[in-house]
Amino acid sequence: MKVLGKWFWLVCLLSSLETPFLATAQEGSFLKEEEAPKAVFPEATSFDRKVIRSTEELKEKIRQRMGKNKTSLWEDSYVTFVAKKGELTLGYAVIVEEIGKHRPITFIVGIGSDRKIKDSALMVYREAYGGEVRDRRFLQQYKGKELKDPLLPYRDIQNISGATLSVEAIGRGSKKALALVDIIYFEGLERK
Amino acid sequence: MKVLLLATALTVLTPFASFAQESDTRGEIRELREKLERLERKLAADEAVREKKAAEERAAITETVKKDVISEVSAKGQSYFSKLVDQTKIGAYGSIRYGTSSLDDLHNTFTFRRFVLTTDSPIAERLRAYLELEFERFTELELERRTFPTAGGLRVEQAIEGSNKSEISLEQAWMQYDIADWLKFRGGAVLVPLGRFNINHDDNRWDLPRRSLVDRGAPVLPSTAAWPELGAGFLGDFSVGKQGRVNYQFYVMNGVTLDSEVESVIQSRFPRRDKLEAEIELRPTRGTFSDDLKSGKAVATRWAYSPWLGDEIAASFYWGRYTPDFLDSHPVVSFAFDGKKTWGSFEIEGQYVNTWWSGVNGVAKSFARTVRDSSAETSGAETAELETEVEFELANLATRKQGYWVDFRYRFWPEFLNATILGRHFSNPQLISTFRAEQVWFSGLLNSVAFTGGALTDFKTENRLLNRFTFGLAYRPVPLVALQLAYEYTRTNQGKSLSTVTNFLTSSKDREFFQHAVLMGLTFGF
Repeated sequence: MKVLGKWFWLVCLLSSLETPFLATAQEGSFLKEEEAPKAVFPEATSFDRKVIRSTEELKEKIRQRMGKNKTSLWEDSYVTFVAKKGELTLGYAVIVEEIGKHRPITFIVGIGSDRKIKDSALMVYREAYGGEVRDRRFLQQYKGKELKDPLLPYRDIQNISGATLSVEAIGRGSKKALALVDIIYFEGLERK
Repeated sequence: MKVLLLATALTVLTPFASFAQESDTRGEIRELREKLERLERKLAADEAVREKKAAEERAAITETVKKDVISEVSAKGQSYFSKLVDQTKIGAYGSIRYGTSSLDDLHNTFTFRRFVLTTDSPIAERLRAYLELEFERFTELELERRTFPTAGGLRVEQAIEGSNKSEISLEQAWMQYDIADWLKFRGGAVLVPLGRFNINHDDNRWDLPRRSLVDRGAPVLPSTAAWPELGAGFLGDFSVGKQGRVNYQFYVMNGVTLDSEVESVIQSRFPRRDKLEAEIELRPTRGTFSDDLKSGKAVATRWAYSPWLGDEIAASFYWGRYTPDFLDSHPVVSFAFDGKKTWGSFEIEGQYVNTWWSGVNGVAKSFARTVRDSSAETSGAETAELETEVEFELANLATRKQGYWVDFRYRFWPEFLNATILGRHFSNPQLISTFRAEQVWFSGLLNSVAFTGGALTDFKTENRLLNRFTFGLAYRPVPLVALQLAYEYTRTNQGKSLSTVTNFLTSSKDREFFQHAVLMGLTFGF
């Protein structure tokens, strides 16, 4: 027991040292806005940033497309990016927010020109539990999903036990991003 | 002559002219002096005004700066406080149950299982605090005390009113420092990481309305779940390969201990003398949250490996002295294996726990030596009207307990229910059917202990088996709320009473060895 006690305090001491490999934590900010589009479109050479103001008309259109999935948070505006490789448009990325259990989760959804999710990445996670939604192995489930898919745990998404609300939030946010890109870029609401 | 007259006139007139000139100069000088004096007064007055104005300005600036500083400090203080309050999230979970039982002594009843308040507060970046306060079967606790003089003395009255079998308990209260994903420090009242249920015990996470035997009903865990201990340690998780993830927890804690519980019984026995019984029971309970009763500390660790999302296997271990310092030192050793496997809508989840209480016989002997007599009676003249009996007992000890539970779950949702009230208002409602199988083996379960004069006179143990099967159906409109329905069949060795191997089934009949029960539960969280 005494030996164990010594080991315990040794680990305590070691953990108090600031070293580069102790750089990340479960909750917090993981991606800044300028880094986010590159996380979902790593092959892109340029990004056109565009802020879309959230109007009542836009909300109504998003609502219609989301169906039974109701968003928990309406943003005032959406930061979007058009990802390009040279002159070729690779797709669109949208930063969205949804409430997990108590707090908003901020993440970016990359949508290809085929209207399917290309990739997602968590930017800020504020909940005490359920940080596993940040894992690549969880987020990669959304690749290839489109607006008509349910994006719900136990339906087409593998749930994380104890983090069901966060899993549902990522699904809702992804659906909101798909709806927004559909309205703004594929149907061209911005040009009207 | 003319010259003379002129000279005379000049001589006479010159002093007059000179006098007039002098008089003019003096006037001018006076005038100038007066002017100068006026100017000096004006200058002095102007200077005074300037100084007054400057002083006022200085005072105003000082006041403004002071106000600014105060308001800035106050704003900062307010902003920190508001931020903290804003970010502190209050949650809760709870459950109630309606149960029927085939046992004669159990009534059909509603049970308020528990209501647990939770707060989660991010103190600063990487620092957070978490609290769970449980009200179990709790309705009231009231204390009345009165002290007043009476003829020839002082009278003190005390009355405690409380609800039966109720408890207020601190389930968790810890602070965590996130050093990295793989290394987080946690200290305080932490859940012991033995098996998977104790660390995931929230009622609304489960689909059956009763907790498992291994964790609660006939606990194989050294203490009943939810089982917190006061201690500190590390936890974290890290990736292994492309998909795999390892999660670990390790704590040093006060640990489970044999602690005393005093039970008082007052018995009216006309025409015999009334009797006051005090039963002092030494049983394993969660460790103290103040001075530890023993010198050794306990350790617990759990390592879980998730090869991919939805699946997990884990091993956990607990070791620590359980005897207080006034008894011989003996450890309790416990290990567990648990896991979960998912195939689409179908899940298997289970846990096996094995606990060894070392030296139960030695503990009984040591207890006998310390207490000397298992019971004592007084019947002196001063207590002639009341017979007093004190009994000492060792309870809930077995040399070895082992058991498991395994849940088979299937989640489904018939589309036609979307048009009904069950599905119309919810985005992802579910029905979950569950079958749970449980078994617990008791080896060397302490049956009776008697001692006189510090020596054991009776020490009987027995081996027992407890089985339970549960079929359940739960409806979840949203993830944190469930309506549950379940049927249970519980059985122990033929001819033996269920009440001696469980802590929730009471039976005054020795031969009630099985129970049929139907349970309906409601559980929620927010």
